[in-house]
Amino acid sequence: MPEIEPDLDVKFEDVDRQVLGTLWRPSLVFWFVAFLLFLGFSYGLAAWGYLVATGMGSTGLRPPGVMWGIFLGNFVFWIGLAHSGTLISAILYLFRARFRTSINRSAEAMTMICIMMAASYPLIHLGRSWIFYWLFPYPDQRQIWPDFISPLMFDFLAVSTYFTVSLIFWYTGLVPDLAIIRDRTVGLGRRIYGYFALGWTGSASQWHHYATSYLLIAGLATALVISVHTVVSWDFALPIQPGWHSTIFPPYFVAGAIHSGLAMVLTLLVPMRRIFGIQNIITNRTLELIAETTLLTGGILGYSYVIEHFMAWYSANVFEHQTFVFRATGYYAWIFWLVVFCAIICPLFFFFRGIRTSPIWLFVISILINIGMWWERFVIVIQSLAQNYLPYQWGFYWPNWVELAWTLATFCFLLLAFMLFAKFLPSVPIAEVKKEAGMPMHKGGLYREE
Amino acid sequence: MKSDELVLALFPYVDQFLSCLRTLKDRGYSIARVFSPVRLPEMQDIVTPKPSVTRAFTLLGGIIGGTGLVGLACYAHLRFKLIVWGKPILPWIPWVVVAFEGTILFASLFAFVSWVFKSGLPQPGTDAGYETAFSGSKFGILVSVASDRTAEVERLLKEEGAEEVRIGAA
Repeated sequence: MPEIEPDLDVKFEDVDRQVLGTLWRPSLVFWFVAFLLFLGFSYGLAAWGYLVATGMGSTGLRPPGVMWGIFLGNFVFWIGLAHSGTLISAILYLFRARFRTSINRSAEAMTMICIMMAASYPLIHLGRSWIFYWLFPYPDQRQIWPDFISPLMFDFLAVSTYFTVSLIFWYTGLVPDLAIIRDRTVGLGRRIYGYFALGWTGSASQWHHYATSYLLIAGLATALVISVHTVVSWDFALPIQPGWHSTIFPPYFVAGAIHSGLAMVLTLLVPMRRIFGIQNIITNRTLELIAETTLLTGGILGYSYVIEHFMAWYSANVFEHQTFVFRATGYYAWIFWLVVFCAIICPLFFFFRGIRTSPIWLFVISILINIGMWWERFVIVIQSLAQNYLPYQWGFYWPNWVELAWTLATFCFLLLAFMLFAKFLPSVPIAEVKKEAGMPMHKGGLYREE
Repeated sequence: MKSDELVLALFPYVDQFLSCLRTLKDRGYSIARVFSPVRLPEMQDIVTPKPSVTRAFTLLGGIIGGTGLVGLACYAHLRFKLIVWGKPILPWIPWVVVAFEGTILFASLFAFVSWVFKSGLPQPGTDAGYETAFSGSKFGILVSVASDRTAEVERLLKEEGAEEVRIGAA
């Protein structure tokens, strides 16, 4: 039987030194890459400014056909990416899956960045994004209130709740680690980290209330992570649009979200652990377990694709049938088959242990999955609208430079924000890793399992 | 009248630390504060055996959030009667989403605020007796004891495995 690698290969007393060693003195290369990413983000901001100045006509959207373009496809994609953070942090915490310990902080940070990026897309799609605050339920001089049964309102509530709870969960987990940094820095750094550490000392009373709340927030976030993409899926499932109006959408969206999110976690962690030299903390075994989970989510997604097509045929609904024939054979068909290859077939290579334990293969396949999952949202949103009930609505949509510029900007922002996070905050939860690293024992035998 | 003195012990090993904690508790010493770099359920069993009150605050937050947001939706719909597709003014079924989001949001906020305040945070400095080693790899016990018994406590702590004992730690 092959030997299974441990989840962690670090000593209790070495955790601080090794994790804190990732924080200090960013190199010149770091700042150069950060600057390039900032330029990419600025380009997107300029494009957004152009869109505000000229109106939605400057996008590739053309009435009466495809009126939901890649802005909303990107919204679904980014919200989906955000799912893995909460999955790894909250759900795996409740299941006591120890492999989450070394990766939950990075996954949570990724979640928050992704939610911010996701939220930008509906704001742009609103057209007049500068009056987004009209979504807030407040009595203004117009005496007009938002409609609480609108999927747009559901989205607003779901996304803002998800961001707030993710932020709370992330910050709660960060407080003990900020205290560790506070105690090992001097000057301004000590003051800044100390300010955010809130005066944490790790007393029994603090751990007591902290642990209870952390568990409760994990439970609440678990319910939330399932609900957010369910709510997002209702944006599509509620209208009587062929290709969208289906009860399979909520689980299908949640599985797809977790699938893409886990792939993005692999994409970010594989290079990060190599750059920081923390392969003994984020071990091959941890990455292998993520890959195995990806196999599961990829399987659910593949099953959903099959069921969608089966139901279109079995329902004998001519519009549904036509939509799915068009999906597999129409002028967007190459995208659909690209999705099937990247998101469904590529993860199957994880059945081979040699591939799922090789960081290079994991990195390559995770990028392919992400490419597939981005195009999947293109298929769902755009292809479904391209041939609607009435032929006069039929059309061909392709994003123009304005839409692609902001898409590029959001990817640049993800990488930039993640780089800054990994350099200025502990990307590995120090206190949690210490606990899993094995307590220093004189004789042993006293410590009990939770 | 004898004044109380604070005695701080630093432990390198978790089993000795927990054993000492039990001994002190059994012998009725006043444990002022206990420090650990990681969360230890056993430490909590000994020092803080009662469930945290943050549970009740979280429940309260959930109730306030759920009912509050649905209440706001009711007010908004009664104030501005927008009839959509002939649906009722107060559509309870779609508002399950509204209630759910409000419940989760406020329960989480209350859970966070309650653990922060119940832990005595935020505070400008650190607790009395705190050492930076306690965020590293050491465990600490701060005992409050009458000044004429400090020698006895010091001996006990050393016997239990403390690598360093400081008297008058505050």
